[in-house]
Amino acid sequence: MSVQERDPLTGQVTTGHEWDGIKELRTPIPNWWLITFIVTWVLSIGYLVLYPSFATTKSYAPGILGWSSRNDLSEATQQARDMQSAWRNQILATPLEQIEDNEELRRFAVAGGVAAFNENCAACHGVGAVGQIGQFPSLIDDDWLWGGTITDIHTTIRHGIRTASDDARASEMPAFGDVMTGEEIVATADYVLSLSDRSLDAMRASMPGAALFADNCESCHGAGGEGNREFGAPRLNDAIWLYGGTRDAVIRQITQPKMGQMPTWESRLDEGTIRMLAVYVHTLGGGEK
Amino acid sequence: MATTTILDTVSPRKPARLAIPQTVRGRYRTIKTVVAAILLTFYFVTPWIRWDRGPQLPDQAVLFDLPGRRLFLFGLEFWPQDLPIAVGVLILGAFGLFGATTLAGRVWCGFTCPQTVWTDLFFTIERLCERLFGKDTLLSNVAKAIVQVTLAIATAIGFAAYFNDALTFPHALVTGAAPMGAYIAVGVLTLTTWLFAAYAKERVCLHMCPWPRFQAALLDKDSLVVTYQRWRGEPRGKKKVPLRSTLTDLSALVREASSFDAGRGDCIDCQRCVNVCPTGIDIRDGLQMGCIGCGLCIDACDDVMARIGRPAGLIRFDVEGSDSAGSFQKPTVRFLRPKTLLYAILCLVALGSSVFGTLRMKSVLVDIDPQRGQPFVQLSDGSVRNDFSFRLAHRLPTLDRIAIHAEGLPGATLRFADAQTGHEAVHLAVPGNRRISDRLFITAAPRRGPSGRTNIRIVVTNAANGATLEEVETYFWGPAR
Repeated sequence: MSVQERDPLTGQVTTGHEWDGIKELRTPIPNWWLITFIVTWVLSIGYLVLYPSFATTKSYAPGILGWSSRNDLSEATQQARDMQSAWRNQILATPLEQIEDNEELRRFAVAGGVAAFNENCAACHGVGAVGQIGQFPSLIDDDWLWGGTITDIHTTIRHGIRTASDDARASEMPAFGDVMTGEEIVATADYVLSLSDRSLDAMRASMPGAALFADNCESCHGAGGEGNREFGAPRLNDAIWLYGGTRDAVIRQITQPKMGQMPTWESRLDEGTIRMLAVYVHTLGGGEK
Repeated sequence: MATTTILDTVSPRKPARLAIPQTVRGRYRTIKTVVAAILLTFYFVTPWIRWDRGPQLPDQAVLFDLPGRRLFLFGLEFWPQDLPIAVGVLILGAFGLFGATTLAGRVWCGFTCPQTVWTDLFFTIERLCERLFGKDTLLSNVAKAIVQVTLAIATAIGFAAYFNDALTFPHALVTGAAPMGAYIAVGVLTLTTWLFAAYAKERVCLHMCPWPRFQAALLDKDSLVVTYQRWRGEPRGKKKVPLRSTLTDLSALVREASSFDAGRGDCIDCQRCVNVCPTGIDIRDGLQMGCIGCGLCIDACDDVMARIGRPAGLIRFDVEGSDSAGSFQKPTVRFLRPKTLLYAILCLVALGSSVFGTLRMKSVLVDIDPQRGQPFVQLSDGSVRNDFSFRLAHRLPTLDRIAIHAEGLPGATLRFADAQTGHEAVHLAVPGNRRISDRLFITAAPRRGPSGRTNIRIVVTNAANGATLEEVETYFWGPAR
């Protein structure tokens, strides 16, 4: 250290450093700043010890508090579940058909159903359950392949359609491209399309496809094309065509039928959620009593 | 020497000054007491007034229902969307305050401000305790603390009663049944009431409140403020010193001649004006930020002037600058000035807007929005359905049932989510919470649905008397043909 020297102009002590005749004044950082700085260091050591702080070769140092944001989240989720448990228990205890009669219960079920639907079902059936023509059925119209009562909907969600599950709804439409000639298929398609046209009622029986329909289709789809929910055989005499209502689409469907699949949700969702989903879908506009 | 110091540096009660201002009698003290009594009664009694609104609604005349997001004010019910009305009321309050200040100085501070009213009340308690149990005795201090804390708790509960049912709330508070928020609110308000009125007192006015800082911008040369008539008060002297001759003989010649007069002015420097001042200032230093314009020093001085046989009004409400005008005559207040007229107009506009807004408040709010997803639903019989979310909230005295029908779509049927079949007009019961949230399905008659978009009007009527509550313009989609 050089001898302490005061700058004549400001009266301040200099550091004793000098460059080209310019001397540096000693203006240290304020003590409060220095102390704060040191305190932050001390605190940071505390954090280092208490909280997860640095990676180790295999994992990370968990800190002695054992805190993790993942635990926080699962605790919060569990808390939310506990808060809902009274409602969920009530939904499990109430017979399915009576859930909607209880206004508050219905509202809870619909709220939970929307969330579960958007997470699990909307990928295929679309947000708002509007479906996709040619792919997945709309759940808000009044046409149901496997039944539209809340019990039917619940069974469908629970066991799925055409899955490996023993209880799943299952049926198979033969591919008539293998057993019928092209002319026969076209004639059948024309007959199928006529079913939903009331103006053709009188002459329908004389159509070339009538006999073919009676032989091949009637057993599942019904004599008048009313469909059969036992086998998930769609109505053919209405205005709703899942795989398209054009002549081409019907011919294609007879030749090489598409048959939708739906997962078994029993193994993925708990019974309460499935019930809430059933209530939600049932209240979307097409639900049957 | 400057006679007026608007932005004077103020210090809290100086050590030499009294911890509690002395009591005083007089005109302004009476006004202050009466105003305070009215305001305190108003504050404490209002939540207890009942107002019958029928069985479903609270019967408290003034109730801020925070969980329900509504404000009951006698026959009126306000919802959050009525906030512009509150803005009008606030503007009215602000310009009313500006106008009052322009005319008569800080009368708000001196007579009506809650800080003034409560501090005044707490001063009274302190004086009473000292008179009963002696000054600075343990008993007196304990009595003061008990009464003041009790009053603070009462104030807090009184405030919370505006937000809860006043009749059951105090009981719930004692039994522990009240919600946590109520305890926090009462606790915080008790603390702040005690802190502001019993502890901080004039420090709030001197250091915390922004209002004194505004006054310089609001006062003008025609505003009434508390003035010390320096021309007749100075020089101050003991009572036994003979009076200045200028004050006894007002001839201009004599006044001229007596400039070397050794006599005193009217002020006998008795310090009464300082000792009664709630903020502990010396008004004889001129207009200053610490003066809340309560006029208690006027009462004190008038009393002293009467005792020494001099005319009252050495300290008086007068315009700024009158302290050297040299007149016993009070100047007349000029009410009609551009500034006051402007404030009056603005007040009227704000008042008019608020009244207009209140009269035009909608009692029934209906939201009908198309469901997102797809514009229409194809039904199996060939008809099309449009789905809407339907929300209704009302604040009518009674509304048990509504009827809804659609116009612009002949043969269309309507139904809500829980119904199986649609009707041309659908009825719905309104639940006790006066809110409906449901899905509304409108189905066009088979083969009569529109091609593309068509405008429809959904009409909501009161099923009891057929009165139209709301008409919502929306549209209906059908498949393009």
